Amino acid sequence: MVGPEFALLFFAILLATLAILLWPRGGLVPRLQRLTRLDERVRLEDAIKHIYTCQSTGHTCSLDSLAGCLQVSRARAATLLSRLTVMRLVHTGDRGPTLTDEGRQSALRLVRTHRMWERYLADRTGVPPGEWHDEAERMEHALSAAEVNALDASLGHPPWDPHGDPIPTSEGEVPPEFGISLVMADAGRTVEIVHLEDEPREVYDALLNDGLALGDRLDIVARSDRAVRVRSGGREWEIDPVAAGNITVRHLPVGEHADTTRTTLCDAQPGETVRILTISQVCQGAQRRRLLDLGIVRGTEVTRELTSASGDPIAYRIRGALIALRRTQSGWITVERLGESRRAESA
Amino acid sequence: MALPAPVCGTVSAHRAESLIRLGLNPDKWDLLIALAGNPNVGKSTVFNALTGLRQHTGNWPGKTIVRAEGAFFHRDKRMKIVDLPGTYSLQASSSDEEVARDFILFGRPDVTIAVVDATRLERNLNLVLQILDISDRVVVYLNLIDEARRHGIAIDAARLESLLGVPVVSGVARSKIGVDDLIEAAHGVAVGDTHPTPYRITRFPTAVEQAVTSLASVVTETFPSLPSARWVSQRLLNADDAVVEAVRSGELGQLGDDTVGPTPTEVTSTARTAVLNAAQRLRWELPTDFHDTMTERTYGVAQGIAEQAQLRGLKRAGFDFDRTVDHVLTSRWFGFPLMLLILASVFWVTIEGANVPSAMLATLLIDTAHPVLKGFGETVGLPWWVNGFLFDGIYLATAWVVSVMLPPMAIFFPIFTLLEDFGYLPRVAFNLDGLFRRAGAHGKQALTMCMGFGCNAAGVVATRVIDSPRERLIAIITNNFSLCNGRWPTQILIASIFIGALAPAHLAGVVSAAAVVGIAVLGIAMMFLASWLLSRTVLRGEATSFSLELPPYRPPRVLQTLYTSLIDRTLIVLWRAVIFAVPAGAVIWFISNVTIGGPSLAEHSVDWLNPIGLLIGLNGVILVAYIVAIPANEIVIPTVLMLTALTADVTGGAGAGVMFEFDSANATAQLLRSGGWTLLTAVNLMLFSLLHNPCSTTIYTIFKETRSVRWTMLASLLPLAIGVTVCFVVTQMWQLLV
Repeated sequence: MVGPEFALLFFAILLATLAILLWPRGGLVPRLQRLTRLDERVRLEDAIKHIYTCQSTGHTCSLDSLAGCLQVSRARAATLLSRLTVMRLVHTGDRGPTLTDEGRQSALRLVRTHRMWERYLADRTGVPPGEWHDEAERMEHALSAAEVNALDASLGHPPWDPHGDPIPTSEGEVPPEFGISLVMADAGRTVEIVHLEDEPREVYDALLNDGLALGDRLDIVARSDRAVRVRSGGREWEIDPVAAGNITVRHLPVGEHADTTRTTLCDAQPGETVRILTISQVCQGAQRRRLLDLGIVRGTEVTRELTSASGDPIAYRIRGALIALRRTQSGWITVERLGESRRAESA
Repeated sequence: MALPAPVCGTVSAHRAESLIRLGLNPDKWDLLIALAGNPNVGKSTVFNALTGLRQHTGNWPGKTIVRAEGAFFHRDKRMKIVDLPGTYSLQASSSDEEVARDFILFGRPDVTIAVVDATRLERNLNLVLQILDISDRVVVYLNLIDEARRHGIAIDAARLESLLGVPVVSGVARSKIGVDDLIEAAHGVAVGDTHPTPYRITRFPTAVEQAVTSLASVVTETFPSLPSARWVSQRLLNADDAVVEAVRSGELGQLGDDTVGPTPTEVTSTARTAVLNAAQRLRWELPTDFHDTMTERTYGVAQGIAEQAQLRGLKRAGFDFDRTVDHVLTSRWFGFPLMLLILASVFWVTIEGANVPSAMLATLLIDTAHPVLKGFGETVGLPWWVNGFLFDGIYLATAWVVSVMLPPMAIFFPIFTLLEDFGYLPRVAFNLDGLFRRAGAHGKQALTMCMGFGCNAAGVVATRVIDSPRERLIAIITNNFSLCNGRWPTQILIASIFIGALAPAHLAGVVSAAAVVGIAVLGIAMMFLASWLLSRTVLRGEATSFSLELPPYRPPRVLQTLYTSLIDRTLIVLWRAVIFAVPAGAVIWFISNVTIGGPSLAEHSVDWLNPIGLLIGLNGVILVAYIVAIPANEIVIPTVLMLTALTADVTGGAGAGVMFEFDSANATAQLLRSGGWTLLTAVNLMLFSLLHNPCSTTIYTIFKETRSVRWTMLASLLPLAIGVTVCFVVTQMWQLLV
């Protein structure tokens, strides 16, 4: 019989080994899986996508930019390029490598898979927004065209990904992108966010932390080379050019303005009645549809009625029914306060 | 492409096909009625009032997940009625909504009864308008007008009827008021005596309206007989899978009203593809908040209609019962103490109340009937092994399960159901949601957890009230951490023998009770821990959508509740447990009586498992008992006693394979001690009894609810792994320190 010291020690070692092997992301097994994924095909596909991105954004693509993007040596990048040229996917001309028609089609397939998967993650799962891109990067190499088409059908042929990018159709059609970079927006005008770039993740996370979401309205207070000064929801702050470059906006007609104060349902006082304005675009998929179906649409008057014994959730009288919402949910719902008279009436 | 068959034939054949796909046999009725409505509007009460079948109706949103069916006769016509799940809309964004929508669209009921709660007309009209969009043959039943009257609301049914364009009947389903009129109206619509002209929503905001109109013209061109081209267009723009598929397959062409009839011309696949392409093109141009706009518009119309139909200037009842009760039950100071008091009394009543009937059943089934049956077997000349197998194995296991399980369940479930019907349980979920939210779970899990204290299988079924996929999975997987009533006897017996004995005699009872409560509390702690871990690891990616409706309080119907909860929960669970107990009894008898080279199979496995058992502070007997008792935790103790007597070679056993229990705890203690049991064994047995795989009834139920081998495996193995680990660490630490 083994002594208890050894038994416990052995057990601790076993636990530690399992943790080292299987820990999500950091563990050896997940790492190994990631390494083996980075095979030749994935590199080639990433290269095609890089060239496509350069072309569609108007940048020139070079050996350097390719090597940088794929994090490989210049020599390796050159090999990849020449293989793509042999495969007739890329044409190398005076202005760097460009995609052939065939190359463009395969690039669009990749983009389609990527954006479709992001849509899927946003609509059908609870994966947090910051992780959509990385997940999609992995899946774009793993899904076949048929699988993507099936996904397309089950999601209801979504035209846009959750960041506001169009999803190419299975025939490779893609509508022209519209909107301008926030860097180019005119001072004094009001803009609406139509696209938030999700790469690099650090910048995207910063945008999310700033509370920015698709459909948000911003007043452009001032613009300089160093920053864009914006105002929204009673708050005024500066966005640095790097972050601003990742935000695509469209000008709203003169005369429209961003909301001056952003009051959310969660700010309602006990017994207070407020009127719903919008649900934030941060809330998507099943969560959003559920809120809408419960009757939380623009113009609905909602009364805060009950606070649970633990303080959260809070129950609101919404179109006759008493519905409990958590603070995170009520924080997504922008409302306007009704006058004092209305408050007295409802009390 | 086939030649067009005679109109009627084609249509009904098609419909029959759809119905079979939806799980209904189309031969067995003359008229088909669908019952639709929001959650918690008394839909099931209407169903019962119509059919007389006592289907359980809880004061819970979303009770009818499994579709209920019933039938009744009216004017010599056999009416088949299908109760659809209660939904807030028909957008098909949850499985409930999909079931309801598919049934109304493809099942083409002869009439759909939309049940509406008169106190919340506007909210309910949102769904009614969506139903009217799909189908012409609708009757609205305005339920709960008495409750509305108390709230100072009255609704002009005639006005509502003219606004909606379909018959409206008002009444109170609970007291069967208006039910006869409803049947008459439904019959009229179903046979075509009444031709409703339902209100259809038009005039969406410009961008949406343009898309809908232009697509609708394409749809009408392609499918001329379709009654709801605009709705189909909306769904196509919304890219509704089922509708897209119906266009692609041409099934949509068959959905035309089969009493009016230009021949549904064969629609070529080119034309059908053209419709889909047009929809795809138009979708690019739609604003991204398209769905929001549509919902907004529907609610806007609903509000308008509700305002016109509502009578004003009525006096409200002076005292708002709901609000007063709610403020007490959810208050900061009284909320939790009241909840603990109520739940503790439920458990106390269950445990105390079950003692006497349990003992009586045991006396009847085990002490009296068992010897009689065996004697009978001998007199008719059964071979000893048939006699033993049948009566010692199968009969005894079943008798044990029934006598331990039936009384507490027959007390616990009705009380629980009464609280549910009254509307208190949603308030418990509301109060506790803060706690569960931190563990990544849903407040309603508090209820499924409580239900688990009665029976884990019932707790797993109860998770249906949680409508968010991720939170529901968490509740299913962690339900086993609730100490079910099959395990209470084990805990109480072991605690009083080994733990109570540590304390001075006058405190023994208190100490052993505290030990059992401690184990139950540990179970709750493990449930939170497991929920937290699951929601951050394997279940991270599952979809989530929280909502919790607090229905108005309604007086429970005591007698009906007693009856239905006995039928619905107790007997179904008991029956399932018995089915699983039968083979367990057979196996126990078998392994105790089949010998290999002297010792029996049971003794061989006990010897073989002993080293593993000792490593985690248990022994071979306990492990074998838990393996053969997977079907039912109730028979663990009898099996342990039988195996101990068998292997420790002491007198007092009832024979190989015959499970037994002693009348006195002393005799049990003596036998267990002679089998080598110590305080450590007892502690570990109590821990292991809490933390091990669910019984097979529960495992089977989990599989039925999740339809996934993966989640079933996880739910079964996770507690087992935790149990083995905990017992192992406790044992080794104990040996190190003591």
